[in-house]
Amino acid sequence: MLNINKTIENGTATIFPEGRLDTVTAPELEKAMQEILPGLTTLVLDLEKLDYISSAGLRVLLSAQKAMNAQGSMKVCHVNETVMEIFDVTGFSDILTIE
Amino acid sequence: MTPDPMFQETEVQANRLGALMLFCSGLILLLILALTIAGVFPLKGKLMYSTTIQAIVEILILLVICKIVKNNAWWLKPLLLIGMIIVFARLDSMLTHKVAILMVLPVVFSSRYFSRKLTIFTSILTTVIFAASAFWGATHGLINLNIVTMPAGTEMIATGGFLGDAVQNAGASNEMLIRNTLLYDYFPKWLMFSIVSIISCNIARRGRSMVISQHEKDSKVARIESELNLASAIQADMLPNIFPPFPGRSEFDLYASMNPAKEVGGDFYDFFLIDDDHLCMVMADVSGKGVPAALFMMASKIILANNAMMGKSPAQILTDTNAAICANNREEMFVTVWLGILEISTGKLIASNAGHEYPVVKHGNGAFELLKDKHGFVIGGMEGAKYKDYELTLEHGSKLFLYTDGVPEATNAQTELFGVERMVEALNKDPSASPEQVLKNVHASVDEFVNEAEQFDDLTMLCLEYK
Repeated sequence: MLNINKTIENGTATIFPEGRLDTVTAPELEKAMQEILPGLTTLVLDLEKLDYISSAGLRVLLSAQKAMNAQGSMKVCHVNETVMEIFDVTGFSDILTIE
Repeated sequence: MTPDPMFQETEVQANRLGALMLFCSGLILLLILALTIAGVFPLKGKLMYSTTIQAIVEILILLVICKIVKNNAWWLKPLLLIGMIIVFARLDSMLTHKVAILMVLPVVFSSRYFSRKLTIFTSILTTVIFAASAFWGATHGLINLNIVTMPAGTEMIATGGFLGDAVQNAGASNEMLIRNTLLYDYFPKWLMFSIVSIISCNIARRGRSMVISQHEKDSKVARIESELNLASAIQADMLPNIFPPFPGRSEFDLYASMNPAKEVGGDFYDFFLIDDDHLCMVMADVSGKGVPAALFMMASKIILANNAMMGKSPAQILTDTNAAICANNREEMFVTVWLGILEISTGKLIASNAGHEYPVVKHGNGAFELLKDKHGFVIGGMEGAKYKDYELTLEHGSKLFLYTDGVPEATNAQTELFGVERMVEALNKDPSASPEQVLKNVHASVDEFVNEAEQFDDLTMLCLEYK
């Protein structure tokens, strides 16, 4: 189960994924991202309520990061311990801007 | 007249439905018969009895035939429909306007055969036979006063007998009764019947196209399934899966297994001798699952092995593999890889980690412990990613356990994760066990923990014992 809430204001979008981001739910987030990415200068991912992220979820984050590198910036905030561990193990903590 | 094999099953089901309809009609007739005998229904005794009993006998014969051929014979379809029309028409001739609805039953039922031609045939046959029953019923069946026209001033006196008799005694001619029945009773009924016929034809045609498209979908699914099974076998065969893998080598023992959650998966392990003294081991996990992950896995495995066979260091192998994969990776798939090369004569292990889970090491007679090695970024994620080698020495009796995230992330019905702690615990239940037994122990622990929940991720493990 994944709920995606988002706010968009003056080229800055904040996405709040809530629940589990895995093979089943990752395409939902990918679709939501593709819809808002054009014209965006700042993308914020608030992971406060994200319980779990699998490799399929990481792939969506990586795509978003690459897209935002070309047109602005992306940051990730409120990362909990479980998710942070996954970021550390996979080396994602080195390529993401985590606050 | 043999039916299309595609419709064989649906025809048998329709025959069964027809038999059920007849059986229910038989029960209703028995009830009517009983009520007539009990005097609740004041009908023309003798004729009513013979008609009802004849109808029941006909139904019984049809049911016995259905039973004998187990609802499965090409001629059962017309037999059931004709039999049904005759039985219902017989009742219609007796009970006339009271059972008007009987006329539509055969045609509605015929739509279940999903053949428009058959429904049209049934509709025409019903029209003819019910016209005959209306003709006969006008003078023999239950009379409908609305169709009786009499010269003005005619008086009818109820004598305690039947209405029909009274009407006939009052001088109503048979000719008038028949004409009026056909015109005022049968004709409006037939108009409504024709609407039901048109709807039934439509249902039959639509049903037919649905059966055909379902059949096409089924064969497509069956084809994809058989292809997936073959793909699954090819994938399993790509991994070294004969154990012991190097029967001539007594310096080490190695066991590995892969259980994909779907037919094909993105996890893989690999091991091979680079030369007489160097054993390369790989544990990897592709992002996502299923066919896309499996395709990516095949490419990754081959590129890694080719680079390793060139005698490079683990970090160099990962760097070069990353460059090769990034060159053509528009889907942004990636793979986490742990790759290590063991110098068999000395026990020196050089390894590098591209975003993969921490390996677990047991030194000598010690316990299994998580090795928090340095991580590079996943392979395929970013061009120019850098990887570092690290080194450790395996003493005699040491073991190395590699796995993919399917193990710590196995989830039970309460959505708890199995976790690395439980995994290390399972390893330490019997740290001196053979690699094969070590894997079985972990697998058993995961199974026990997951219990009834479905295996969601691939379970892939490898264990090396340095003797």
